[in-house]
Amino acid sequence: MRRSHLLATAACVTLACAPLAANAQFAPAGSGGSPTASVPGPGNADEPTATTPASTSRFSGPSPYAPQAPGVNAANLPDIGSMDPNDVPQMVPQQSAAPAQGDWSAYGRDDSQTRYSPLSEITPQNADQLKVAFVYHTGSYPRPGQTNKWAAETTPIKVGDGLYMCSAQNDIMKLDPATGKEIWRHNINEKYEAIPYTAACKGVTYFTSSQVPEGQPCHNRILEGTLDMRLIAVDAATGNLCEGFGHGGQVNLMQGMGESVPGFVSMTTPPPVVNGVVVVNHEVLDGQRRWAPSGVIRGYDAESGKFLWAWDVNNPNDHSQPTGNNHYSRGTPNSWAAMTGDNALGLVYVPTGNSASDYYSALRSPEENKVSSAVVAIDVKTGAPRWVFQTAHKDVWDYDIGSQATLMDMPGPDGQTVPALIMPTKRGQTFVLDRRDGKPILPVEERPAPSPGVIPGDPRTPTQPWSTGMPALRVPDLKETDMWGMSPLDQLFCRIKFRRANYTGEFTPPSVDKPWIEYPGYNGGSDWGSMSYDPQSGILIANWNITPMYDQLVTRKKADQLGLMPIDDPNYKPGGGGAEGNGAMDGTPYGIVVTPFWNQYTGMMCNRPPYGMITAIDMKHGQKVLWQHPLGTARANGPWGLPTGLPWEIGTPNNGGSVVTAGGLVFIGAATDNQIRAIDEHTGKVVWSAVLPGGGQANPMTYEANGHQYVAIMAGGHHFMMTPVSDQLVVYALPDHKG
Amino acid sequence: MPNTYGNRTLTEWLTLVLGVVIVLVGLFFVIGGAQLAMLGGSVYYLICGVVLVASGVFMVLGRTLGAFLYLGALAYTWVWSLWEVGFSPVDLLPRDFGPTLLGILVVLTIPVLRRLETRRTLRGAV
Repeated sequence: MRRSHLLATAACVTLACAPLAANAQFAPAGSGGSPTASVPGPGNADEPTATTPASTSRFSGPSPYAPQAPGVNAANLPDIGSMDPNDVPQMVPQQSAAPAQGDWSAYGRDDSQTRYSPLSEITPQNADQLKVAFVYHTGSYPRPGQTNKWAAETTPIKVGDGLYMCSAQNDIMKLDPATGKEIWRHNINEKYEAIPYTAACKGVTYFTSSQVPEGQPCHNRILEGTLDMRLIAVDAATGNLCEGFGHGGQVNLMQGMGESVPGFVSMTTPPPVVNGVVVVNHEVLDGQRRWAPSGVIRGYDAESGKFLWAWDVNNPNDHSQPTGNNHYSRGTPNSWAAMTGDNALGLVYVPTGNSASDYYSALRSPEENKVSSAVVAIDVKTGAPRWVFQTAHKDVWDYDIGSQATLMDMPGPDGQTVPALIMPTKRGQTFVLDRRDGKPILPVEERPAPSPGVIPGDPRTPTQPWSTGMPALRVPDLKETDMWGMSPLDQLFCRIKFRRANYTGEFTPPSVDKPWIEYPGYNGGSDWGSMSYDPQSGILIANWNITPMYDQLVTRKKADQLGLMPIDDPNYKPGGGGAEGNGAMDGTPYGIVVTPFWNQYTGMMCNRPPYGMITAIDMKHGQKVLWQHPLGTARANGPWGLPTGLPWEIGTPNNGGSVVTAGGLVFIGAATDNQIRAIDEHTGKVVWSAVLPGGGQANPMTYEANGHQYVAIMAGGHHFMMTPVSDQLVVYALPDHKG
Repeated sequence: MPNTYGNRTLTEWLTLVLGVVIVLVGLFFVIGGAQLAMLGGSVYYLICGVVLVASGVFMVLGRTLGAFLYLGALAYTWVWSLWEVGFSPVDLLPRDFGPTLLGILVVLTIPVLRRLETRRTLRGAV
């Protein structure tokens, strides 16, 4: 979501605003009219075969059987062989299973992905003395002539004597955790064309081999999935590629994917290793075409890089690699959030997104409808799902899950402990599930939803799931009186915009005759920042967004007029529609026009602030809200994108998560005011803040080096949040502990 | 009346400009407010817009009535906004901040309008 667009300032008196607002037009986005293309019947709902004639429209992508474009196999690697999952060597205990006190061994610190650190040197009493200890430049930022697609989103990990991280374009480095000095750097030479919607690398994975003896190269490894779909293993001590992994340390993850172009499919999250199996997911660019590349989830041997299994939604019984000209089933739900491993149960928890062509569901298979926008627990021995819990049925709102699941223990009915999983969602509904069987631990109600909707042949489901046992991270349904502005003029504009749209709450069905309001939107609720959980105090920290969208389906004819075409169309030009915006949805009867629910003339959101919140929930005493307040000030935001400089904690859209520590502090950037802050975990009071050199759209982390606590955040910024992009990792410590 | 603004002082010019601005705001309210009312939304903007247009026209004509019509609309705005959103500063901001600022300017024009009216009366007596 775009950065917040706020607020009347004294500088903008009504006099100054009147001429501009008077020019405002009331034309809604998109056009009306009925679809020109007929709705495909069940017979057309199948993926094209090798003999299906290719579409001749200049707005359509090639056949899924067409060869992959040059650069899709980025390192021109040979195919990887398969091995029997039963032959995977026994995994030795990993660093992330029980991190050393001062370490942060995995993306969410430990195997439970709690984002909780037992460090306590920094406290609410001394946090206001925090100073920059060092800054490290990754060197990845948009060069002249390149579109700004940057949002590094990186969280370093810290194991022993090294801080390991990746640049936005996947170069891997090891830093001295006390000084920020680069110990080694492994450049992977990724091409600009490989950047999909966003150049992001959320982190790397630390893996200790059971096969390579201690002291030998690649006993400890850094694993990384890349934007250009390579799985890379380097030696943690030297940064050199692990020759025994894949082909010279790399595996081509585009193997078996069928037709594609660079930037269509990419990895942005650190792959978890579960019982020796490294599991990879990937994002597939939204909104392009119904028969986009597969969202397949795959397991590889973390020792050898050999293929073990695939979970291919429309081939549920075939867990092998496609052979010959075949490929994994197209258009299936992709998973782009960080996954969570569970060694004890032998499962990986996959937060799934939506089938390709997010806003039209008539062409999806029953298999897809079962597993989209869900948590899927896959058995890492076989690649078969053991259970599925769906968070939105037949999703046509892009409520794909961006968050990583956090593992915790919940008290069970008979006093025994239940292994639980917390799944935040963009809906602001947080589901707490038993991770043995996926059954809800806290009550979930199926409540009526608008059905069947207005698109012929694409009915909505009559009910949707609501997590009634957890506080909802959302505000009530929007009303006309929630419309905002800096004057009655722009407020009136938004009131008309509100009334012109279809809106019947969270599950308002998509429409083609007029726009519909989507709240929470695709940036609403909890996104990839996920949640942090303090197992000692039982406090769960959640930051979330209030950012509605204004969407409209458009007929194929209108989509063509708008120039919407999929990224793999030979006529595609960058900027011609893309993820998180207007999309061709080639292969369906409709395209999609997606905009923020805002005043396009002032750049301010139409709804009243706040636009972003932070909430503390007491999980040990009835899931009550301990404190909750807006997150982010108006200092860097304002009408027409002008910074107001105001310290008013208005609550801005936010992207990126939090850290909670035994010192009783929550560290978080995320907001579009480009600040990092320390918040008292128990009271919610902001005890320290500092302005970053770029947007703080990344999860911070904390660690100990030379006996002192450090707090690190990648101030990489975010192109879509319109915060300044930088290549700087900023690390704070108390005075006298500077590197 | 052709000579109402015959030899205008700066304050009279500013009063004229303010009257024009209020007419434009009023027209925006009337046009937008009519659409909103037809869509089933609030009728406040339509009603207020009509009063604002009248207010601005009278101010342009140099009539004190224009200023009082504006202040009447402002009072209506405050009553309506408190009814609609209560004492919530964030919500009162878009509804009342700009109109009140304008209202202060309108109050400042009352002596100017009075002077214009007096001059016109005198001229009428000649």
